[in-house]
Amino acid sequence: MRRLTETQYRNVITDVFGPTITFGGRFDPLPRTEGLLALGARTARITPGGFEQYYTLARSIAAQVTDEDHRETLIACKPASANAPDDSCAKQFFSEAGRLLYRRALTATERDVAVNAAHEVAEISNDFYKGIAFGLTGFLVSPKFLFVTDTIEPDLTQSSGVRLDGPARAARLSLLLWNSGPDDALLASAESGDLANPAALAKQVDRLMRSPKFEDGIRAFFADFLDFQKFETLEKDMVIYPTFNVRAGEDAQEQLMRTIADHVIVRDRDYRDLFTTRDTFLTPRLALIYRVPAQNPGGGWSAYEFPKEDPHAGIATAIGFLAVNSHPGRSSPTIRGRAIRETLLCQKVPDPPGTVDFSVFNDPSSPHKTARERLTAHRTADACAGCHKITDPIGLALENFDGAGAIRTAENGEPIDASGDLDGIAFKDAIGLGKALRENPAATSCVVNRLYAYALGRPAERGDAESVAYFQKAFQRDGYRVKALLKQIALSDAFYKVTPNSDAKTAGAHTTAGAPS
Amino acid sequence: MGPQVVSRVGRVAVIRPARVLCVAVGLLLPCLSLPTLAADKTLSFAIYDWANAIYQTRFADECPAGLNLGNDEFWWRSLSKQDRARLTNNGLHESGNRYNVALKRGPKQENVCLDPTVINDPFFRTVEGSISYGENIDGTDDGHSTPKTCSHQKFTGPDGTKGVDNQMYRLIGCIYGWREGGLIDPHANELRAASGLGMILVEVTGVSDSRNDDDVTVTFYRSIDQFALTGASKPLPFATYRIDTVQGKPRYGDHLKGRIKDGVLTTDRGDVRLPYYGNYAFINPVIRDMAIKLEIAEDGSASPGMITGYYSMDQFVHYASGLGGIIPVSYYSCPGLYAAAHKLADGYPDPKTGQCTMLSSAFRIAATPAFIQHPELRNARK
Repeated sequence: MRRLTETQYRNVITDVFGPTITFGGRFDPLPRTEGLLALGARTARITPGGFEQYYTLARSIAAQVTDEDHRETLIACKPASANAPDDSCAKQFFSEAGRLLYRRALTATERDVAVNAAHEVAEISNDFYKGIAFGLTGFLVSPKFLFVTDTIEPDLTQSSGVRLDGPARAARLSLLLWNSGPDDALLASAESGDLANPAALAKQVDRLMRSPKFEDGIRAFFADFLDFQKFETLEKDMVIYPTFNVRAGEDAQEQLMRTIADHVIVRDRDYRDLFTTRDTFLTPRLALIYRVPAQNPGGGWSAYEFPKEDPHAGIATAIGFLAVNSHPGRSSPTIRGRAIRETLLCQKVPDPPGTVDFSVFNDPSSPHKTARERLTAHRTADACAGCHKITDPIGLALENFDGAGAIRTAENGEPIDASGDLDGIAFKDAIGLGKALRENPAATSCVVNRLYAYALGRPAERGDAESVAYFQKAFQRDGYRVKALLKQIALSDAFYKVTPNSDAKTAGAHTTAGAPS
Repeated sequence: MGPQVVSRVGRVAVIRPARVLCVAVGLLLPCLSLPTLAADKTLSFAIYDWANAIYQTRFADECPAGLNLGNDEFWWRSLSKQDRARLTNNGLHESGNRYNVALKRGPKQENVCLDPTVINDPFFRTVEGSISYGENIDGTDDGHSTPKTCSHQKFTGPDGTKGVDNQMYRLIGCIYGWREGGLIDPHANELRAASGLGMILVEVTGVSDSRNDDDVTVTFYRSIDQFALTGASKPLPFATYRIDTVQGKPRYGDHLKGRIKDGVLTTDRGDVRLPYYGNYAFINPVIRDMAIKLEIAEDGSASPGMITGYYSMDQFVHYASGLGGIIPVSYYSCPGLYAAAHKLADGYPDPKTGQCTMLSSAFRIAATPAFIQHPELRNARK
């Protein structure tokens, strides 16, 4: 069971009731677990304060759905009288909307409870639509909507003797590929039992991946994988970085996402090339920070290719990555190095000890002019040296970009030495770092591990080793195409495998593409 | 880049930046091991500050009789005590909120800024000092008349340069509004920054060496984009601006031949039409015999520079007469300014009357490095 993320909640409401239903609100934060918020959703609870938020949102949404502007289009049936209960119409509406919200057909009891509640409210208020709003509010605050539950059915072909039932398979599939709930066609396929059929499943997977909503799925994974949560607190000192304002931060986040979405979906390129690509998208505000000509100075996004001689190549040199992994007023080779290790390579860097002395590094009148010199002095402490060895040689390669991601060649008048090495591969600058990342096997295994865990909603465990190894090989065989990898996962038995009561008991894997079982 | 693509990230026409713009990056960031410098490069700037170059001493020695009186003062002096009370709501309307009344001091209540010849104001004070910013525009040592100029007095530059022509300074140098603390030019600059109107773009092309090159071309355009500004309304460097065009051709685009010596750009003189907006007024002055001087640093930024040349007397007087609410806080008389301008004009005599029609001038400019997008690139994107 996992809680719908905020984006999933918003996507579902938009898919079910359309984009004209607007709502704000904040959700209880999810704990980041094993590098993913999606895994934190497994243990997320709803606090009393959080429930209040859900309830307020639900009332707002229900009120909009039933208001005069929307009822004609969102409620398919028309009541005999708008001033009295109409159980038949209420039953039709709740059956249709409830099925999409609960990601399965309603039971008769669930439906009747809603119809009866709507009847009573309509009677008291003399308003059919108030009754509908009341009933809909109940759906929207129900755990059956807010939590995705893995429901199972018997399957004697599985060692566990059970498998996810159709609707649960549909939910898992749509959450992965659309970051939203299943639509009517997918639910219909699930309800007919088709999703257990490889050919029918493949047809649905193809349909979902051809949909514009597939980009939402890709965006959701990479936002989680690359820890876009950090953008929520991104702020720069405007005196030090006058070009970087709130808008620049928003654009920087979107630039990363557009670059990835274009690379992965539209161009269907090798994932590893994300570390070296010169293709991106810019707004005038970003062009200004990159110091390149804007293609569309009047505003808006346009495609841009950095010239071969330009120091920008790959997502590690994007303003979004550089600015997020810096302090508000200065760059940080250590934070950047750690982000690369932990986010892009899935390697753990220990937290600094509580007693660490930053005075040498932070001394404003330090004789050490560059970050490299200051870090060298700082590393003389044994307690610090170990971790800095694995972060700094990478992060220092990005020192030609200041805390806002703008190019610089010197710090405090001293030329910057951006050389470094990554796991034995030496380089002289950020371009070299990008190439080293591209060739690092941890980069590809990292994205496979994360995507696998993201898809299943739980960390990969010992029993998943065979499946993960299979997907690693498949990823390599398919030229490191994320789309192909997603498809492999979506079609695999492993994706739908479940063992009652304990994920840890899951063993082995089956895939429709011939993976060992 | 690939062909045109469709995605929810947007239908995008995939284009490469124009070569001229790409190499500009290389030039402006020469320290990076980035761009290989190509043979032909372009330097681009947006002018964000434009002000008359006023040389002033601590005690205003250049104006020995003091600074000029304002229109309000002339008006006030002309009124009886009863009229002062009547026209100022018994003294409650001060100069800032009675200027529309105060301007109507012609014999038939004419607005003397709209019709500055209906009265004569005495005491218009012009600069009597000998030092001024500017350059020798007419080429003479003593300012004697030539077929292109009227006889006038020369200045010496603050650095000792002889033969400086700047009759504009002589005209307005004793008016508070144009001196330090005055509002006229700062207000115009602020409005231009806020509105993006009348922004002048300067493009230096044919640059083979950004420090020393004896043959470059300097072209002047108008931008249709607003200034990119910091939160404190300061211009941001390296923003991209599109050229204003008519039927696909630049609306402005006069150019001058020039050179760069030790990083200092100077040009030959030629007639250049420029856009100008300030204090709610649009002007398209043709500055005759114009030259620009701009010091360009190695990082592509520019120190304050100067534009010199002959500025239309009529356009200037028209501008100064239309400053509205700025006039009462700038302290000058339109009739006095009009008369003095005609006396001081030193360039381009009217062939029929012999009256010179232009004022030798010097303007301080401040420019920030920029990218200029030409219409060809815009068209290519369509």
